[in-house]
Amino acid sequence: MIEVVALSKNRGGKRVLEDLSLSLAEGGVTAVVGPSGGGKSTLLRCLNGLEPFDAGGILIAGHQLTPGGHPHALLERIRRDVGMVFQQFNLFPQMTALENVMLAPRVVSRLSAAEARSRAVGLLERVGLDGFAQARPATLSGGQQQRVAIARALAMQPRVILFDEPTSALDPAMSSEVLEVILDLARGGQTMVVVTHDHALAQRAATHVVELVAGRIQRQGSPAEVLIPAVGSG
Amino acid sequence: MRGIRAAGAVALVALTCELAPGALRVVAADLDAVEARGELVWAADQEGGGPHVFLDPKDPRRLTGFEVDLAELLASELGVRPRFQQGQWDRLPLLLDRSVDCVINGIELTPERERDYDCSRPYFAYALQLLARRDGPLDSFERLASPGPSGRWRVGVLTGSAAETVMRSRSDLEIDVIGYDGTIDSMEQVVSGVLDAAVMDDCIFNFYADRFAPLRAVGRPFAGGYYTIISSRETPALGRAVDEALGKIIADGRLKRIYDRWDLAGRQQILALRDASEIPVASRRSLRQLVASALPLLLASAGMTVLLSSAAFPLAILIGLSIAIGRLHGPAWLRPILAGYVEVVRGTPLMLQLYALFFLLPKIGLALPALVAAILGLAINYSAYESEIYRAGLKAVPTGQFEAAMSLGMTTWQTLRHVIIPQAVRLVMPPVTNDFIALFKDTSVCSAITVIELTKRYSVLALSTGRIVELAVVTALLYLAMSWPLSVLSRRFEASQEGPH
Ligand SMILES: Nc1ncnc2c1ncn2[C@@H]1O[C@H](COP(=O)(O)OP(=O)(O)O)[C@@H](O)[C@H]1O
Ligand SMILES: [Mg+2]
Repeated sequence: MIEVVALSKNRGGKRVLEDLSLSLAEGGVTAVVGPSGGGKSTLLRCLNGLEPFDAGGILIAGHQLTPGGHPHALLERIRRDVGMVFQQFNLFPQMTALENVMLAPRVVSRLSAAEARSRAVGLLERVGLDGFAQARPATLSGGQQQRVAIARALAMQPRVILFDEPTSALDPAMSSEVLEVILDLARGGQTMVVVTHDHALAQRAATHVVELVAGRIQRQGSPAEVLIPAVGSG
Repeated sequence: MRGIRAAGAVALVALTCELAPGALRVVAADLDAVEARGELVWAADQEGGGPHVFLDPKDPRRLTGFEVDLAELLASELGVRPRFQQGQWDRLPLLLDRSVDCVINGIELTPERERDYDCSRPYFAYALQLLARRDGPLDSFERLASPGPSGRWRVGVLTGSAAETVMRSRSDLEIDVIGYDGTIDSMEQVVSGVLDAAVMDDCIFNFYADRFAPLRAVGRPFAGGYYTIISSRETPALGRAVDEALGKIIADGRLKRIYDRWDLAGRQQILALRDASEIPVASRRSLRQLVASALPLLLASAGMTVLLSSAAFPLAILIGLSIAIGRLHGPAWLRPILAGYVEVVRGTPLMLQLYALFFLLPKIGLALPALVAAILGLAINYSAYESEIYRAGLKAVPTGQFEAAMSLGMTTWQTLRHVIIPQAVRLVMPPVTNDFIALFKDTSVCSAITVIELTKRYSVLALSTGRIVELAVVTALLYLAMSWPLSVLSRRFEASQEGPH
């Protein structure tokens, strides 16, 4: 499902990703861990074309990304198949939870209002927010907002979802709400890449763990291999 | 809070009433002051054109015209030098209260003027002449009584002139009368086809006939009267001295020589002036009568003000938003072009832009009706300011919003339309409302291209009735009544925005 080969990226003359290779099978969950500034977010943003890279290649959900810029149309196709969930949620503040989830199916997939609505209602229910369809983001807790954001990503029925530190802005109680949702998705066979500082999350959700330090892969393997010896990096 | 504001407004209006009459009246000087100064300050509008007062085409630094000669002659009779003061024609009488001694500029003798000003004996007999394009359908005055090939005839006149009064009173004619700030403007508009005809003093048309060869006089002069020199009623000695000097130069033939020099039929002029008799003075109307007669006119023009601003502003926002989006997200080649548009539009006066739309476009075959030109001009002018506001607003929406939308597979345009613009619109609401109020007041500039809105109507009414202060208060109250609800609305909106966030 994802194949990264010899990926390198410079930013302002500085190398932020260095000769990075990894692969992820359909239904797998990769956790990316490592200290701050190691390039985790940058890797994720390269995977859905939010940022270009300088060398190597990416194959994701059947799409090919090469170094340099890409046509808008290709990026839009990739992003329909590759969802993203952000640390700061980035919900659309002027819309209700339901409207946040409905928007992309309506304007990108051109579903009818009724279809988009029933899909969105189902997804809000799936993330445990059935009672909050009409709530505005500003009135929701952080955990609730992140769950709306996950529902919003799921609404496009992506083949891969990328999470960038989905629980880092949350207190432990809210973190575990979100963790439950991610575990539920993993059990359902959703392919995911999760950048996280939370080793409990990586331990429980991941099939594969990559440790990124200063733009290089330090170690990768099963959670047991990578996580046990590592002591609280970051 | 609201009570204090209302009280403040009342106090302000009261203050205006107190101060304005004094402020407008103190400066005029009587004959002794003129003599002490050694100068007779006379006012005219050189844009009004020849043969009255105009810049010498051979030496554009020099003012010339038969009234320049007349002013020189009168001043020398009074033993002083003449000094010229420029003013907008329909506002010349206002200058009398501001250090100008008299107005010599084709001011027609009317009962209203005799009531409001010190009017000299007549110095010139004029007649009104209808003129139209040689190749146009208008071939006699009588044809104005039935509609022309494209509906009502559009007839230009000089705002505030006898031609305007006469033509506006002719409800028997199928005409729309359009007021201009200069007679030359109206002739150009007849040539370019915006107007079907113009009405003006015959001496003006005779003077410019060569320059406006495509125009011809239609029918014989149909109404007429006399020009008078006006001075303030507060300077009776000066008024008397001017009148006596005039009598002397009429009697001894020096005035006739001026008219002969200007090819103005000197002998007929002097005969006509001798026949001129006193015109009775109209009685002053009460304030209630004044307001009752002026208010419907003012209200109708307030409607025009509302129409102008409510048509122009949405257009300005549309253009402005498009420019802002183009500059932030458009192709690289488009960005400097849009930036240039903003700089040019912001860097030139609205008045000039209106002139360009109204007077220059017809020269390349694109004659816009005045109302359309006015709305377009306001919209273009304000679009530059709105684009800058929207650019700031769009930039103020966090990039995370962009990334979230793009990560769902939305295109740049879909992202802007559904996610970014709605948020930017909320952010810029207060400055945009502010601009709407500003545009609302800027509509008064449109009178320069013949659109009669509230301020123009005020100045015409104020001059014809002489009730400058009273009508100013009524007009100001009308403006306030219209802009106040807007301010209240925008404050409400701001308050509601502060709530949830
Ligand atoms: N917008 C940016 N501009 C310049 N440098 C950046 C930017 N974002 C991240 N970086 C740099 O790129 C490197 C990788 O950052 P990032 O991918 O955010 O790491 P991580 O997510 O692992 O904390 C760091 O050195 C960081 O300082
Ligand atoms: Mg990061």
